[in-house]
Amino acid sequence: MKFKVHRDQFVQGVQHVAKSISQRTTIPILTGMKLEASAEGVTLTGSDSDISIEYFIPKEDEEHQYVEVFEEGSIVLQAKYFTEIVKKLPKETVEISVQDQFATTVMSGSAVFNLNGLDPEEYPRLPQVEEDKTFQIPKDLLKNLIRQTVFATSNAETRPILTGVHWQLNDEQLTCSATDSHRLAMRKAKINTNSSGLSFSNVVIPGKSLSELSKVLNDSDELVDVVVSENQILFKADHFLFFSRLLEGNYPATENMIPTEAKTSVILQSKRFLSAIERSMLLSEDNKNNVVNLKTIGNGMLEITSVTPEVGKATEEVTSEEMSGEDLRISFNGKNLIDALKVVDSEEVKIDFTGAMSPFVLKPTDHDHSLHLFSPVRTY
Amino acid sequence: MDRQRKGRIIFHVDMNSFYASVEAAHDPSLRGKPLAIAGSIEERRGIVVTASYEARAQGVNPPMPLWEAKKSCPDLVVRKPDFPKYRQASENMFQLLYEYTPLVEPVSIDEGYMDVTHPVDDRPPLEIAKHIQDRLLKELALPSSIGVAPNKFLAKMASDMKKPLGITVLRKRSVPDVLWPLDVIEMHGVGEKTAEKLKRQGITTIGELAKSDPIQLKSSFGVAGVRMHERAYGEDHRQVDPDAISEFKSIGNSTTLPRDTKNEAVVRKVLMNLSDSVSRRMRRKEVYGGNIQLTIRYKDRKTITRSRKLDHPISSSQDIYEEVWALFQQYWDEKPIRLLGVTAQDIVEKGHAHQQLDLFQYADTLKREKLSNTVDHIRNKFGEGALLKGAQMSEDSSDLLRDEEKRGTSLEKDFLREGFLNEKQDNED
Repeated sequence: MKFKVHRDQFVQGVQHVAKSISQRTTIPILTGMKLEASAEGVTLTGSDSDISIEYFIPKEDEEHQYVEVFEEGSIVLQAKYFTEIVKKLPKETVEISVQDQFATTVMSGSAVFNLNGLDPEEYPRLPQVEEDKTFQIPKDLLKNLIRQTVFATSNAETRPILTGVHWQLNDEQLTCSATDSHRLAMRKAKINTNSSGLSFSNVVIPGKSLSELSKVLNDSDELVDVVVSENQILFKADHFLFFSRLLEGNYPATENMIPTEAKTSVILQSKRFLSAIERSMLLSEDNKNNVVNLKTIGNGMLEITSVTPEVGKATEEVTSEEMSGEDLRISFNGKNLIDALKVVDSEEVKIDFTGAMSPFVLKPTDHDHSLHLFSPVRTY
Repeated sequence: MDRQRKGRIIFHVDMNSFYASVEAAHDPSLRGKPLAIAGSIEERRGIVVTASYEARAQGVNPPMPLWEAKKSCPDLVVRKPDFPKYRQASENMFQLLYEYTPLVEPVSIDEGYMDVTHPVDDRPPLEIAKHIQDRLLKELALPSSIGVAPNKFLAKMASDMKKPLGITVLRKRSVPDVLWPLDVIEMHGVGEKTAEKLKRQGITTIGELAKSDPIQLKSSFGVAGVRMHERAYGEDHRQVDPDAISEFKSIGNSTTLPRDTKNEAVVRKVLMNLSDSVSRRMRRKEVYGGNIQLTIRYKDRKTITRSRKLDHPISSSQDIYEEVWALFQQYWDEKPIRLLGVTAQDIVEKGHAHQQLDLFQYADTLKREKLSNTVDHIRNKFGEGALLKGAQMSEDSSDLLRDEEKRGTSLEKDFLREGFLNEKQDNED
């Protein structure tokens, strides 16, 4: 194998693929990155067996030639070293060639690295995904779906299924939900399935996979193909394929957890409410006591307090834009509200409470495609 | 501050052979006889918890196994412990102390500190001490020893010097004469492990401790090293705190099994009973634990403790049991078990415990809380055996944990004796 490639294109590809490579893997060859040169261009592959990324650098497009292939072939190189080397190469082009016994030379300008490669024949094949359930989604929308749900996934392994985001497609509507059993984030999006009547449910994508996917997506409205299979999901963009394993098991039913009536409703300015909660939690030790108390004090005012024993108490009054229903006194995890308020794309939010010991719902007022549900904190 | 420190007068009141004395106070026929209080008369776990001075004179040194005590003192009279009786006696005794000053700090069921710098009446300290000792003996028939000193440490050291019925004054200026010749192990707050470590560093007596380098002590013992060094000079700035007893850090119970066992059904039942008893004590004190610890001592005396941080503080027997059982299943290495213990740590008081309700089962949580309160209520009314889980039914010593009279309580840490409490596992008191 021997090829010459534009450094910038190559660095981008290598860095994307490196995100899927872990040094802590049980399959030694997966610590490496696979490079494959063909007549069409160069393909880079990485995998940690949960996610796999395949990145393609075409030989040329309308304007540029990126790759010059002298000899087709493939090699696997230790990602740890290779990634660092490629980032720091001095010249515009990189030449990579493989000699006997997988001995590989990486050259750029006068810098030369001789690396011991691994046998590409031993590199596992990427999952085969049947392409019968496919839809398209713009990259920027996909990024938003991820940003507005992944934070609510659980990171405890006690209920592994909750470490993922649940996707469900029905009547051209994609519903993404995530919960750690204390809060739930739900985001809906219209999907054009070209009236194929495509539908699925119980597709649970590991939160970590989605975070990594989000990092390799740029902010554009270009479409990504999404292919859903029995145990894998594949995202196909112009230059890369992103595979993720799906979580096994049944995602708990969440639709019926969302209260439909409210005993107390308030409309608040998102930013102002967010900073008030952030301020009230200044006294709480890291993650130890995130309890924030909220009560209505009349005239459309709310009082937010937080007490940390031995440290002190924070109190702040917040003016609502609108308030209706019964008086209320409730405690909740302030950190969870902050997480949600940070991703709400709306000037104002409406919160519907159904009592001090029942879950409450936060929704943007600008649109109805997202919803956050929170459980209260019981003090005893 | 300074003036107050200089002038402080602290008493340490220590009851002599408390359990034995209480028994003798209730049953005059026991007076003057060698008497021992033992955890259990028949079973292997029979350990002498307290012995009267008459028994001690014949070689009974608690804590020692009952069979050994009987060997050295054949006419030993043995009684089972009756904790409600002791608690009552303890309450009477502290009540009497409160008559002299509100600054009384109970340390355990049978000892406490008093700050008599400003006593209710203006008699000289020694006269007050004598008065207290005489009244304890006359009104309650309980002998005591009292240490009189400018701080808690010296008062405690002083009360130990003459037993029974001693009144000992220990001034700071007599520290070099009185304390320095003593072995470091005699120093209050120095346990076996610390003494050993000190000896390895060539420090055998309190005097040598006083003369050693505080910086070096700090590097090997931390703050405790600095404290030891101060104490060796008779310094102790701790106040007498009437509320100190409530600042416990953990609540625990343990039990030695009648026979070493590998039988999970037996273990399950013992852990259930221990959980029940820890739960009861927590509820009585209106506290919750944010961390549950399991202690396993194996046949070879190797002891392990494993704990788990909880996502919300608990106090119900069921919750505690579920945690220890999970710990047990995770950490038991299938060797024969001699002793099991359950301890709740990270104690928070009622009103300061928080639980973030689960979206999927918040209704269940509230329901279960109600049930647990009801069970507690029924047991309070009809006794501990009124409601039991199936697995808890059958005879063995862990049943005693449900028995008010025989169970160790908050203050009876000596009843639990044995090595694993030596390590200053702050067993609540």
